[in-house]
Amino acid sequence: MNPPLSITDLEDKARWVRLQSLEATVRAGKGHLGGTYSCTDLLVALYYADILNLDPADPDDSARDRFLIGKGHACLALYSIFKDKGMISQAVFEEFGVSGGALGGQLDTSTPGVEYNTGSLGHVLGIGAGIALAARMDKAAFKAFVVLGDAECYEGSIWEAIVFAGDQQLSGLVGIIDRNRLSVTDTLDDDTFFNEFPNKVRSFGWDCIEINGHNFDEILAAFESAKQSSKPVMILANTIKGKGVSFMEGGVKWHHSVPSGKELDIARSELSSSAAS
Amino acid sequence: MTAQTITSQRRDELAAMDMRDAFFDEIYRIARDDSSVVFLTDDMDAFSLRRFKKDMPDQFLNIGVAEQNLINLSAGLAMSGKQVFAYGIAPFVTMRCFEQIKVNICSMRLPVTIVGVGAGFSFEFDGPTHHGIHDVPIMRAIPEMNIYNPSDAASAEGIAKRVHVAGEPAYVRIDKGTFPVLMSTEDDFSSGYRIINPPGDVTVVATGYMSSRIAGVLSKLGSDGEDIGLVDLYRLKPLDQKFVADVIEPSKTVITLEESSISGGIGTIVAELIAEGDSHTKLIRLGAEDRQFIQYGTREWFHSINGIDDESLAKTLRQALK
Repeated sequence: MNPPLSITDLEDKARWVRLQSLEATVRAGKGHLGGTYSCTDLLVALYYADILNLDPADPDDSARDRFLIGKGHACLALYSIFKDKGMISQAVFEEFGVSGGALGGQLDTSTPGVEYNTGSLGHVLGIGAGIALAARMDKAAFKAFVVLGDAECYEGSIWEAIVFAGDQQLSGLVGIIDRNRLSVTDTLDDDTFFNEFPNKVRSFGWDCIEINGHNFDEILAAFESAKQSSKPVMILANTIKGKGVSFMEGGVKWHHSVPSGKELDIARSELSSSAAS
Repeated sequence: MTAQTITSQRRDELAAMDMRDAFFDEIYRIARDDSSVVFLTDDMDAFSLRRFKKDMPDQFLNIGVAEQNLINLSAGLAMSGKQVFAYGIAPFVTMRCFEQIKVNICSMRLPVTIVGVGAGFSFEFDGPTHHGIHDVPIMRAIPEMNIYNPSDAASAEGIAKRVHVAGEPAYVRIDKGTFPVLMSTEDDFSSGYRIINPPGDVTVVATGYMSSRIAGVLSKLGSDGEDIGLVDLYRLKPLDQKFVADVIEPSKTVITLEESSISGGIGTIVAELIAEGDSHTKLIRLGAEDRQFIQYGTREWFHSINGIDDESLAKTLRQALK
């Protein structure tokens, strides 16, 4: 395995992942860039900063950490990472958005590295709890890292999993909430729900760490802390939908829109120039 | 291959054994030999499970009254090398968590067996929330699901073995109480049905509790009963293609009988086969009316208002023979 990247390298890698996702979206004429960009830095940290114990050459190794994501519409960031890691080819990557092609708008286990068939929200935290339970039964060291959307936390099954994992003290479970404050149609000005979220989760027996989800120092510190915890850990990552492209940041429109013309030029420029500097 | 005859001693043992015990005792033996087997329940008990919990505490967990989480945990365990049995009351473990079953178990073909107790009207005084009459229809809608409905201790035990060997998504709907053994030879329960009486002009295709009931009715009909075919359909999905030639084509009239909604269960399965086939077999579907029963009474009473009590069945059979 390659050594973990520096913070600057991670930032460059994140820009590259965003650019790849942009190009795939433009090629296909479809994609969810806003919600992809809000969690890109979190995904890059997991895959490039030695957080996940994963061997790209052996994605089925039973000792691996498991990574699951609820908001599978952020798949383009993962496809880009899998391509970079040699798990899928450029040819396969370019099948995104092609009828009958290998890569769809949601993740499925036919793609190497994908653990779970996404599409329906609210399930992955409980599945992650099952994985952590299996690890404990087998006295194995692997953990389940689970990325959730903030809008997804309205699903009742998320709370069934929070209650269970806290009760069982499943230290092998790490949840990461991509708190981008936007759902498909609306702004989540739901501060009554989220302001007290860390304390709500803690009251169920979890550790909760609140961070800036675009600051790699904070992201890495949170993951390292989560790995050492004797409890299940929830990382509440405050993020910006569309992060990385100025005109997309914080806009509901970019949940599922494709830039063209001048906007596309600006997006390409912002994602390329910084990376080259 | 000649099937081995069941000894009278084994027959007596099976006939005296509660169906749940037959199933769970077999799961106990399987789990003892296979440490990857994990048993989860949503706070549902059974006497025979206490031994499992006591002897294999690391393979047993009551996860509390949370069916969606029950299935999600099962999925996570199965993704990590476990073979899971998830146990609860039939309507709750199939309907409260339908999407979890469809997406998290079946779309990934994980080795999880959902075990539902409370088939049909067996939770007699608890109202329509507890009636297990829509569990089979709803599970049938999932392409990858294997659906089993044992009718005696022998089939319950055999199906437990079967689902463990298969390692696929399965739903097993079990009953409580003792039942007569509906077979004379040992069976590996791979075909999906047992021919109890050879198909005749009139053949009853029954499943679960009703297989046992109708066998009793036939035995009381004298020589008429001997002419009536009886097939116990213990695996509702997938259905072996031979079923058409073995059961439907030789029969002028098929009567389906289930303690389940008349819509979506074996009545519908057989109707589809007849409609798509070349036979001119007449079909009579018996089961629970297509409605929710906001009523309270004994299991027998529910059978009588649906025309599937012993007396009504005998009458229907006599009419069909005319």
